[in-house]
Formats: sequence, C-alpha cells, structure tokens
Amino acid sequence: MEPSLNGTGNGTASVKDSLVLDKVEKRYGDFVALEPTDLTIKAGEFITLLGPSGSGKTTILMSIAGFVAPSSGRMLLDGRDVTALPPERRNFGVVFQGYALFPHLSVYDNVAFPLRARGITGDAARPKIMAALEMAKLGAFAHRYPRQLSGGQQQRVALARSLVFSPELLLLDEPLSALDKALRKEFQTEFRSIHREVGSTFIYVTHDQEEALTMSDRIVILDRGRILQIAPPAELYERPATEFVAGFLGKSNFLRGKIASAQDGQVDIHMPGFAATANGNGIAAQAGQAAVAALRPEKIRLAAPAIGLEAVSCAVRGRVGDITYLGSSIEVEVRLADGETLLATVPAGQRSFVEGEEIVASWAPDAAILVRGNEASP
Amino acid sequence: MSAAAATSTGGSERLYWLMLLAPCVFLALFYLVPVLNVLVLSFTVPKPGLANYAELAQNGAVQRVLWTTLRIGAITTVLALGIGYVVAYALLQCGPRERQILLGIVVASFWISALIRAFAWVALLQSKGLVNSILLSTGLIESPLSLVRNELGVIIGMTHYMLPYAILPLYTSLRGIDDRLVPAARALGATPSQAFRWVFLPLSLPGLIGAGVIVMIFSLGFYITPAILGGGRTIMVAEFISVQISETLRWGLAAMLATVLLGAVLLLVMWLSRFMDVEQALRK
Amino acid sequence: MAALSVPSTPNGISLNRIVAWLAASFLLLPILVIIPISLTPERYLSLPTSSISFRHYGSLATDGRWTKSIVDSLVVGIGATVLATGLGVAFAVGAWRLGAPLARRLRLLLLAPIIVPPIVHAVAFYRAWATLGLLDTYLGLILIHAMKGLPFVVLTVAGTLANVDPRLEQAARSLGANPRQAMGWVVLPQIKAGIVAGAAFAFITSWDETIVALFVTSRAVNALPRRIWEGLADNIDPAIAALGTVMIVLTFAAVAISTLRSASAKA
Repeated sequence: MEPSLNGTGNGTASVKDSLVLDKVEKRYGDFVALEPTDLTIKAGEFITLLGPSGSGKTTILMSIAGFVAPSSGRMLLDGRDVTALPPERRNFGVVFQGYALFPHLSVYDNVAFPLRARGITGDAARPKIMAALEMAKLGAFAHRYPRQLSGGQQQRVALARSLVFSPELLLLDEPLSALDKALRKEFQTEFRSIHREVGSTFIYVTHDQEEALTMSDRIVILDRGRILQIAPPAELYERPATEFVAGFLGKSNFLRGKIASAQDGQVDIHMPGFAATANGNGIAAQAGQAAVAALRPEKIRLAAPAIGLEAVSCAVRGRVGDITYLGSSIEVEVRLADGETLLATVPAGQRSFVEGEEIVASWAPDAAILVRGNEASP
Repeated sequence: MSAAAATSTGGSERLYWLMLLAPCVFLALFYLVPVLNVLVLSFTVPKPGLANYAELAQNGAVQRVLWTTLRIGAITTVLALGIGYVVAYALLQCGPRERQILLGIVVASFWISALIRAFAWVALLQSKGLVNSILLSTGLIESPLSLVRNELGVIIGMTHYMLPYAILPLYTSLRGIDDRLVPAARALGATPSQAFRWVFLPLSLPGLIGAGVIVMIFSLGFYITPAILGGGRTIMVAEFISVQISETLRWGLAAMLATVLLGAVLLLVMWLSRFMDVEQALRK
Repeated sequence: MAALSVPSTPNGISLNRIVAWLAASFLLLPILVIIPISLTPERYLSLPTSSISFRHYGSLATDGRWTKSIVDSLVVGIGATVLATGLGVAFAVGAWRLGAPLARRLRLLLLAPIIVPPIVHAVAFYRAWATLGLLDTYLGLILIHAMKGLPFVVLTVAGTLANVDPRLEQAARSLGANPRQAMGWVVLPQIKAGIVAGAAFAFITSWDETIVALFVTSRAVNALPRRIWEGLADNIDPAIAALGTVMIVLTFAAVAISTLRSASAKA
C-alpha cells in the first residue's frame, strides 16, 4: 500500500493517483449539498478543501470517510471502487471537528482503540502506541483522561489515534477551529512536518484561508456545493479563476467594465472613468463583452499627481478616503471620480496621506487579472 | 452539514432500525391492541351502539361520580399548585444546604409508594388515630373529627401525593427565569410586589400551567388514595370503573368510562404540549 | 448570582421559607408516623406506649404470606426490569442514532404507559390477558410491568444520550470498529449511568405497581402491593408499617446517595 513513484503501468513519471472522485453528488431531497464533482487526489499530497460553511467541503470529506453515502457517482481508491465500503473497512484516519475523543478511555486506550478493532492488543500493540504518542509529544500524558487535557493536547491525541494504524489517507475536519491563534500557528507547522514524516495523503477541510495557504500542496476552493478552482496556493492567489476565489482568498479590488480589445493573452477593459490592461488569465474573451478583473491592493502604487503619469495605461486619479494603519502597512481607500473606490495597501513609513488629498493610483499592466464573474460562472 | 444525522452506510443502519423498531412492535402488540380494544368494547358490549355513552346523560350515579372526580381533581390541583409554587419559590431563595435538604425530602416522598402513604394517612386521620388523639387529649375537641373515609381525607391524601409532582416541575421552571430580571425591574422603580406581579409571575406562567396539567392528569385517574381514604363513600371514576368490572360485571359501562377518562387525559396532554416539552415534564 | 436573586428579608427568614418547611413537614408526616407504628408490640394498629418490639419486622421474614409476596415482587420486578431495560436502551440508542422524524413520533407511543391512567390499563390487560391465558401468571405480570417501566428507561437513557457526541460513534467506525463494536466499546459505556438509573426506575415502577396487579393476578402470583392492599382491606396489620419503614429507609438512602454522588461529581 506504500505510494510508489515507479508507476506499474505506463511508466510516466507522474505521482500515482490515490483517490478519485468520479461525479460524486449528494442531495438531501431537493437540497443539493454537492453537485456532481470530479476530484483526483494524488498519493502523498497535502490537499485542502477550502470554502465557506455550506460550500460542500464537509460533505466531500464525510463521503470519503464513508459517513455520507453519495446520491450518485463513484469513489475509487487505487482503482478499486470503495463507494459502498463501510467506514471501518476503508482504513482512513479521521480527525473530527471537536476531536471526538472517547471520554471513558485514557489517552493510551484512545490511541489503542484502532489497534484493538484490528485485533492487535497487549504487547503487540504497545510499541505502535508508544511511537504514536511520542510523535504527538504525548508520552507524559498516556494515563490521563481526555477531560484532564488542554485543547491542544486533545488535538494531539486525536492525531495520534488516527495515525497509529498507518492509514493511507488522513482526513482532517476543521481540526484547529477550537484553538486560539497562537496554537493554530504552532499546529500548522506541526501538521506539515508530520505529513512529511508519515508520507500519507492528508485531506484537510477548513474555512480559514491562512491555514489553507500555509499548509497545502494544493487547495480546492468550493462554494455552494461546487468546486471553483484547484491549484497550488501561490497560483490560486496570483491567478484566481473567478471573482469569488479572488475575493475569498485575500482582499481584492474588482474592475468592472467592457472589453475593448483582447489579444496575446491581454485584454483592455474600459471602465466608466478610465481604462486598464489586464492579464487574460486564459479566459476566452471578446471585444464588447462585460468583464471583471481582480486587482490585489498591494499591487497598487500611490503617488502625487504629476505630469505624464496619466499617460500610463494603468493609472487613475482620485482622492484619499479612509486611511487604516495596520502596523507594517497602511490601507488607503482611493475615491475615484465615478464614485467607485480602490483599496491600496502600501508599506508603512514611506509616505503620509491626508484625507481628501488628490492622488494617482497605478499598477503594472499584468497586475490586474481577468476573472470569471460570479453570475457568469458555468 | 447534517452529516451526523444522515449517515447511511450499509449494515449499520439496519442494526439501528432494528433496535428502534423491535420495542415498538412489542408495544404495539401487547399494549396498543389491548388498550384500543377497550375503545372497541365501549361501543360493542353488551350490544353494538352508543348505549354506553347514553349513560353519561341518563345515569345519575355516573354523573355524580364524574362530578366528584372533577371537583376533587380541581381542588387537589389548586392546592398542590399553590403550595408547590411557594415551596419552589422558597427553594430559589434559600441557601444551597437548605435547598439540598428540602429537595431531598420532596424527591424521597415522591418515591414512597402510594399504598404506604395511604396506610399512614389512615393511621393518622382515623377516629382513633393520632391527630384525633392529640386533639382530644389537649381538650381542643370533645368528640373525634371525621377526617378520613370522606372527601376531606381523599383531598388530604391526594394533595400529599401530588405535591412533589407540582414542586419539581415548578422549581425547574422558576429556576430557568433569568435572575437579573427582578433586580432590573426594581432598578426601574418597581416595588418588590410589583416586580413579582409584573415580571416574575408572568414568566412563571408556562411552568405553572405545565405543573397544573400534570397534577390534573394524574388526579383524574387516581385510584389507590381515593379508594382507601374515601372508604367507599367518596368514589372517583377509577374506583367506579373497578367496581363495574369486579362486582356488577358491566364491562360496557366500564369500557365507556375508561375511554372517556383516556380521552380527557389525552386532551390535557395535547394542551400541555403547547406550553412545554411533554417528555421533559414527565421525566422524574 | 444568588445575591442578585429575588429579594428576601434581611435576616433571611421569609414567609416563603416558613411555608416551604411546613410543606416539607407535611410531606414527612406519614413517614414519621409509620416508623413508630412499626415498632408497636400490639397486633393491631397503635403507637408503642410502654415498650417497643420488632415482632412485625420478624413476621415479614417468617410469615409465609409476606415472604411469598416479597419473593414474587422480586421475581416480577427483576424480570420486568431486564425486559424494560433491554427494550428501552435499544429504542433510545436507535432513535438517537437515526434521529429521524419517525423516531420522534414513535417516542410518544413509548411514553403512553406513563400518561394512560392505570385503571384503563387494568381494564385493557384484564381482557387481553384472559384471552391469552396470561392471567395470574408471572409472565403476564412481568410483561405489563415491563411496558410500564419502559418509558422511564427511554426517558432516562435518552437524557444521557443527549450529551453524547454523535461523532464518537463515527470516530469509532473510522478507527476500524464495526457497528457492534462501536456500540459496545463506545456508545454503551458513555450511557452506563443512564442505563442503571433507568433500570432502577423500572424496578421501582414494578415494585409499586398496584392497580393492574389487583386485576390480573390472584393466588398464584401475589406481589407485595396486592398483599398490602388485602391487609388494608381486612384488619390493618402493623406489618405493613414495618414493610413501609424498610422501603422508606431504602428510598431515603438511595436519594441521599444519588444527591451526594451528583454533588461530588460537580465538585
């Protein structure tokens, strides 16, 4: 069951697929929790399902775990159909939201539980349990009960318990949502290092974009029961496919207008007060169409109005509105003549701004990215 | 997100459905069928028709029994609620130690069998009983008072039995009232009695109704206490039904009265379910 | 919070509390009178005047009629408790796990034996048991008492289950336990206390049940309440007071233990 890089069949260098979701769908009566979804998870990767509540991410996770039976579609594990397999025979580890530790069992017995269910008890189980406890830094707590542990320690027990039987796949359902910010940071690093150590596939569900960006090899963005984009974190941030993705992951300005021309992967967009060039982002675009481009606030430069700047294709004149000091940076609202506003984030300490001051915002020609609008998505 | 509730993976569901349905089948066969049969009997014995129900309008004895049942049920309910409310209110005010002792007494008396309690009341209240002996020996009365084998005895015994049934739900309900509201009313200028009447009492009304319905339900069908303390002179409907079966063998009349009693109780339960969770109310 | 609560008079003695203690004395009064009666040396109902005697306690243990009734009550009580607990736990766990609207409606059916007046039960079971040939049999009374105890088991166990995280069962399954193992290793241990309490309620329900027993049993099965009832009908036997005293002492002990337990669990 070890994931292997030397594929048995066609000899390509690509990593073996671990789990394939083939048009998996979940309905509750008329309510669609998950539209027919395809998803291929590679062996050994750390993949995150990210989305707001109700986006279908937990439905996907619970289908993989075997607790939600898909209304239609198949799930393949190493080419084997596991759609109807009961949860206990899938051999996946699951870390539940709120941990679901057994309150009547000690830490040791919680971790021993999966081995007991597999008929491994007593001395045969002991070394595995101790190794799992060591890995989770729980050696000193083996004989405590869950209620005697802090939230962070309970998290470690849940992790040790679901890894002790060396599952191929570890499913984590918002495991950090109950912890404070400092502990969350600590666990983000730890999850990564445990992932490297054990080499299993990790499927992680969260609504926290920072968790997703820091830990994942790939992120799956979901909204209203549908996958919007699957990409590594940097690509997702730099080249969001849709308006929703751009808005959900970090802050973004949206430039709405009509396409004046499109060629060589670049589009010119005309807004009521100004025009701008945007990266075409591989989206089929024709002159005359309505279009939306995303522009990250930190890509905008602010400068005093001077002759010549307006000649740059991506620049617009406005007045300084609200100013928010954020420590290392300053967030400046720029009010444009047509009533729209742009949000710009500039490094602190370089220049001071006064509300009402006239200013020019400019950006590099490919800083703005053409995205699919929320209404226009497929 | 209802992943926990809507799980369905093969055999595990079957096990739980089996667990759920087996007791229901058992109850349907051995409970529901016999009880529904009573309803059938009331229309078919001694001969098919509404003759048994016509007795409600014609038979003076039946009417007297029903009136006695309603009257004693109502008096018991009012007494149990009145005393119960004050006790529940006091339980809120007193310290934890005192509360533990008082609640212990209430709960313990709740569990003592109705028979044993009826026996004790006979011993206390009969003409040569403890109460009369004390009153006679202190010279307060010349001849023994008749405290038992009449309606007074039944009311004393039933109030005693029902009091815990009133106190416990009332206490639960009063405890649920936000204890900052009365001080808030006082801070807004209300006198203590105004704060009670305008704020606390209205908030406790659902609990009061709930406790009242529970006491009424059990009072209407009560058998042991009225039979022993009524001494054959004050007859409530349950005892009357039993006489019809074991002595006069009028099954149709007994089944009709049982159906009427059951209908009244079910109506009260349905009404109760509008004010509170019936399961909560029945939990001991 | 207590300081904020409904104002009382400064010295803490209010009319309410006086009424509360009077009500408590009223509740205790029959108990207080039963204990001395049980110690009377006479054969008839009286208070001991010159000396006390335990002869009525003795007759509980030696008089064949009392011993048979005690044994009958224990047999019926234990049988009914086992049946009610098994069925009640199965139902409560099934309803908890499935959470279906149907389960909620079925729960009302299971609660019926508390709500339906006992005299209605008496009429119903007298007829039905005569047809089935169950009159005056242990099995007949055990079945009835099991049905009367069932709602208390369901209520108590459901109350405990409400605090059990349904994800525990899922966690057990994800860790490799099959449905039966998940039930035995994870769900049932969580609700042990509720099951014990429910079983105790079921046993007490059977132990106290009088009215239906009066109708469906006669000579062969003569449980205690029926025996007491007969004792009250003819000449009142002080042995009833002795029995009552034993039961009162047991009740108070049980209440005290459970109060202390819950107090120490909170601490």
